[in-house]
Amino acid sequence: MGDTISFPHLDYAALWPMLILFGAACVGVLVEAFVPKAWRNTVQLVLSLLAMGAALVMVIKRAAAGVTAANAHTASDAISIDKAGLFLQGALLVLGIVSLLLIGERTLETGGPFVAQAAITVGSEADRRQAARESGATEVYPLALFALAGMLLFVTANDLLVMFVALEVFSLPLYLLCALARRKRLLSQEAAVKYFLLGAFASAFFLFGVAMVYGFANAVDFNSIHANISTSDKPFALLLIGLAMLAIGLLFKVAAVPFHVWTPDVYQGAPTPVTAFMAACTKAAAFGGLARVLYVGFDRSNWNFTPVLGVIAVLTMLVGAVLAVTQTDLKRLLAYSSVANAGYLLVGVLGGGAAGLSSMLFYLVAYGFAIIAAFALLTLVRDADGEATHLSRWAGLGRRSPFFASVFTFLLLAFAGLPLTSGFTAKFAVFGAAIGGGQTWLVLFGVLSSIILAFPYLRVIVMMWLSEPGDTTPSVSIPGALTSAALMVGVLVTLLLGVAPSSLLDLANNAASFVR
Amino acid sequence: MVATLINEQAEAVVYAPATGLLSYMWLLIAIPAVSALILLLAGKAANRWGHWLGVASVLASFVLGLTLFFQLRNLENRSVVENLYSFIPVGNLRVDFGLLFDPLAACFVLLITGVGFLIHLYATGYMAHDEGRRRFFGYFNLFIAAMLLLVLGNNYVMLYFGWEGVGLASYLLISFWYGRPAAATAGKKAFLMNRVGDAGLVLGIFLMFAWLGSTNYEVVFNNIGTLGSTTVLLIGLALLAGACGKSGQFPLQAWLPDAMEGPTPVSALIHAATMVTAGVYLIARSNPIFSENTTLQTVVVSVGAITLLLGCIIGTAKDDIKRVLAWSTVSQIGYMFLGVGLGGGAYALAIIHLLAHGFFKANMFLGAGSVMHGMNDQVDIRRFGGLYKYMRITWLTFMMGWLAIIGIPPLSGFFTKEPIIVAAFSRPGWTGWLFGLAALLGAGLTAFYMTRLFILTFHGPKRWTTAKEGLVDQHPHESPAVMTIPLILLALGSIVAGGLMVTSVPQWLEPVLGPETAEHPKIAHGALTALSLVLTVAGAGLAYALFRKGTALTPQPAGVLVTAARNNLYTDAFNEAVFEKPGNWLTRLLVFVDNKGVDGLVNGLAAAVGGGSGRLRRLQTGFVRSYALSMLVGGVLVLGAFLAVQLGWMG
Amino acid sequence: MTLLDVALAVAGLLAVAGGVAVVSTKQLVRAGLWLVVALGAVAVEFLLLGAEFAAWVQVLIYVGAVVVLLLFAVMLTRAPIGPSPDLDRPLLPALLVGAAAGLGLAGLFAAAFGRLTVPAPGAGTAQKLGTAIFDDWVLPFEVLSVLLLAALVGAIVLSRRESTR
Repeated sequence: MGDTISFPHLDYAALWPMLILFGAACVGVLVEAFVPKAWRNTVQLVLSLLAMGAALVMVIKRAAAGVTAANAHTASDAISIDKAGLFLQGALLVLGIVSLLLIGERTLETGGPFVAQAAITVGSEADRRQAARESGATEVYPLALFALAGMLLFVTANDLLVMFVALEVFSLPLYLLCALARRKRLLSQEAAVKYFLLGAFASAFFLFGVAMVYGFANAVDFNSIHANISTSDKPFALLLIGLAMLAIGLLFKVAAVPFHVWTPDVYQGAPTPVTAFMAACTKAAAFGGLARVLYVGFDRSNWNFTPVLGVIAVLTMLVGAVLAVTQTDLKRLLAYSSVANAGYLLVGVLGGGAAGLSSMLFYLVAYGFAIIAAFALLTLVRDADGEATHLSRWAGLGRRSPFFASVFTFLLLAFAGLPLTSGFTAKFAVFGAAIGGGQTWLVLFGVLSSIILAFPYLRVIVMMWLSEPGDTTPSVSIPGALTSAALMVGVLVTLLLGVAPSSLLDLANNAASFVR
Repeated sequence: MVATLINEQAEAVVYAPATGLLSYMWLLIAIPAVSALILLLAGKAANRWGHWLGVASVLASFVLGLTLFFQLRNLENRSVVENLYSFIPVGNLRVDFGLLFDPLAACFVLLITGVGFLIHLYATGYMAHDEGRRRFFGYFNLFIAAMLLLVLGNNYVMLYFGWEGVGLASYLLISFWYGRPAAATAGKKAFLMNRVGDAGLVLGIFLMFAWLGSTNYEVVFNNIGTLGSTTVLLIGLALLAGACGKSGQFPLQAWLPDAMEGPTPVSALIHAATMVTAGVYLIARSNPIFSENTTLQTVVVSVGAITLLLGCIIGTAKDDIKRVLAWSTVSQIGYMFLGVGLGGGAYALAIIHLLAHGFFKANMFLGAGSVMHGMNDQVDIRRFGGLYKYMRITWLTFMMGWLAIIGIPPLSGFFTKEPIIVAAFSRPGWTGWLFGLAALLGAGLTAFYMTRLFILTFHGPKRWTTAKEGLVDQHPHESPAVMTIPLILLALGSIVAGGLMVTSVPQWLEPVLGPETAEHPKIAHGALTALSLVLTVAGAGLAYALFRKGTALTPQPAGVLVTAARNNLYTDAFNEAVFEKPGNWLTRLLVFVDNKGVDGLVNGLAAAVGGGSGRLRRLQTGFVRSYALSMLVGGVLVLGAFLAVQLGWMG
Repeated sequence: MTLLDVALAVAGLLAVAGGVAVVSTKQLVRAGLWLVVALGAVAVEFLLLGAEFAAWVQVLIYVGAVVVLLLFAVMLTRAPIGPSPDLDRPLLPALLVGAAAGLGLAGLFAAAFGRLTVPAPGAGTAQKLGTAIFDDWVLPFEVLSVLLLAALVGAIVLSRRESTR
């Protein structure tokens, strides 16, 4: 028997971003053990930011060096760091850094947005004490790093098993992060359990899908799957069911109807910085993975998945928009709006070709920044019980804090897709791609749903500006430096991408190719 | 021949690049936009001088517009484009931030900045005591900038930018006085109906993009002839939906009169003289598209005819001075739609009617504001009467507006409305009779309700509210000079504008809208003119006879037609039954399914009754197992759909 | 019928029984423990079929990380130890859904793989597993360890209670 194991070649230049994040997360675990409590938060925050920054630099270096079909694959072809993958990694890191600023905010309330000790019984004397005084858990930083690293791997995974493992790696820390809200802890824990159970359910779908596809194509890597689709002699239904189940697993993560049911509960229950992180980064990662599966593994050479996914896209847009109309809680409203936005993204993906892919990439960045800024603003409007997210509490906010109300109005207008905001350019790009791909019917429903979706935003604007502030209208806290930075970046990018989107569009267009 | 003419009827559209002073046309938009930004961001520091900045910026734009206009006259093909920068430059998605200055745009620029300046000036007086004056002027400047962008863009995406911008500014202006629930509701209604129209416009833009690969006017107009007629019809209908939404045309007319809930006649005026003409602009600008398909033109003409009659009939039954003017606006824009729908030489007729209407309607809205100013914000014409003695200037200027709108020669309305009626009768076939008679009937009705408004307001016995009734005692007085001077200027415009424009403007617009066409009406031209004058005088005389002695102070029981007119001919009820209610039901159903999951739907009542303690324990809306079941059912459906679609293809 | 077949059948029955027990027990914690049994039995099936890698992944991820986390969560949310009456669900719909899903999948797999013969894996599978892990699957395997670490950190965050003063 052979005594040697042939180690696969590892292209470290390509793997650095993930290695840095995983490494920093491990160091973060050590920091928990060895650094005195008073210093822990600062050390963790700086460490995480440095790691993400360094990973971003590595991504940029790699992109500058040039990506070709020859150097994209590494680690036994388990991952494929191609142009689209690099763009997604870069986008995830940038959005991750901005969300981390929110996670690191400690000045808005004593101890920050996270609970100090999750094990303390809700409502007990000790719980009240810790809510008032103790500083929040700092394990959130390594968990966020784990999640982000998992996302980086997920968007570059070149076979279904790696993809599944990466899916779990980024999901598990998110389940945990959801449970760690400082206030309204029962809601938070319930959200986490729901997310976890349903996520596990969706993972099961995904895994079944992998098995089916393996049964059909006798392979789990996209290259072989693509090659074997036309040559396999197995029943075709096997492949169809396999792809359908894979799609269900991924559609759960992107929150597409009818797999969106978790979204409002989880968005509402999770600590708001984590919600922002999920809304921006999970969406980007999940769509990156979905696009890779559809474009690389199962591209439309000899059969067509567009009608079914198109119907899902239409349902997602319409249900998200209509239900957003009825919401009275801002976090739930934004959750349903994020469901509808998943529909728009899906329209872009189904547009097909490089145009579809680039429009999706652009949309992910544009939406990510806007939604992070919106959630950043939600963290500022608070009363004695923490954030005041019920819509009625925002009545008259425009009178009390015109500046913040104006900023929020601007963000809502961006979500509504008004020109000169990133919302318009992004929607224009995805709808344009769909038209170019011959999917005019999707655009029809897209325009229809965006009309409906304008109402909930309008209602919030009316609430803020046209109502008298009551005694219960909360005040807007002065944001700390971190939240200010996140808010400013989000708003500026939203404006910039609305006024002069050409550079990012160019970038997305150049990046719109996968390597099989 | 180098350039191949794809469309035989029309010459190829070519725009020259802008040079010299004309390359500064972006300043037209930039000046009011910057001023708006300063006003909205400067805060209280700008309260004292803010409104003057607003006025000055619009004046500057007007002067610049006038200069550019004279520059343009000297150019050979009288149209220049300027591409500022590449907005969306990727792949086949190519949209430039480009401007186009041509005769049509020049007309609108002068109207918007000219009338806009007068409104601004007037508003400095009208809003003098309003605490939100600076903000008001900020929105106002924003509106002017957006409207200029709308008419100056060189492609449909730029037009859409301006379109949304005026929508936003209009919404802000309508809801300006927060305290009033009616204002907020009206704002919502305006937003809703405009969204419906906007969706049409967006679809039209995407359709052009899909079939022509561009939204540039140049490319679209030169290639529209290559498309099939159904395709052109679809694009045109989509654009028409947008135009109907913005211009308050049937079936999207309901928002416009409600928008008059806005704080002052000043903002109401925006909805009368400038913004609502955007729909007419859109159709006139897209004349190569609309001329391409006769079905499309018939639809536009029908919309115009229906709306003009609808507006007249409802206007007859209203008692609120601003509402009567609002419905008259709806009706007058109906005339313009009739004009642009008829096509050919009538495009230019619609535009001159639009310009003339800008003058006399602005005049009357400001006049109404002046009346309200002197009467403690009373708007009910049943409570006016005999005011001519107390506000002479307002009375005289309003009279000019009244005579102009009903079309008494030699005031402007006569020169601009008359040719549209003639053009309608010139339409070939029996439809010429139909639309011609509609336009003629409209002229008579207009004379009736406008005379009613004028007589009840300024003449007849005083019917003012008194302290004895528990209301306010009235002491009517003339408004200050800053308000009356714009009135006088606009009144002068109402008198002479029509006669001045009737030949010069169509010539000026020829490069854009094509040459004038000879009209061959069903009835001889002269006889038609006489007929419409007789109808006008008859309508006015009837109103005078009925209302010279005043009117009852409260609504009287009335016949079917009047009741229907008071209720806006039941169009609101129709909207509610067809759109609102089904929408509500759908929403409720979706909420139920979403909250309860498929589980809830299946278990139905049993879950509601038997939930018991379990229901108390849950904190949010759904059980996780219900969610899981929803997902499972969804998953099965997706699986089934995948299989079904594939089997369908293979079989 | 070889010994392998018998062992497979036993493990399969154990897995099914474990699954039924998970959904039928009235005690939350026991449901979690039964889950360990069911998942463990599936791992045994993998082992018997010669798919060591899949077996160890099963044990590591599901028995090791996920179930433990689940149990932690159950215990930490102070779920009642002892019977919880509201865990009951109407039997008939559950049976219908479960049977339909199970039979459907079984039919599908039978149709797809029923006639398929796979060459039995050769001897020395530990070495093959090693090669597989450190060659073809080195990346996912290493990342799995990250997943475990993340789960561990999570478990600590959720469960740690410092002595309060």
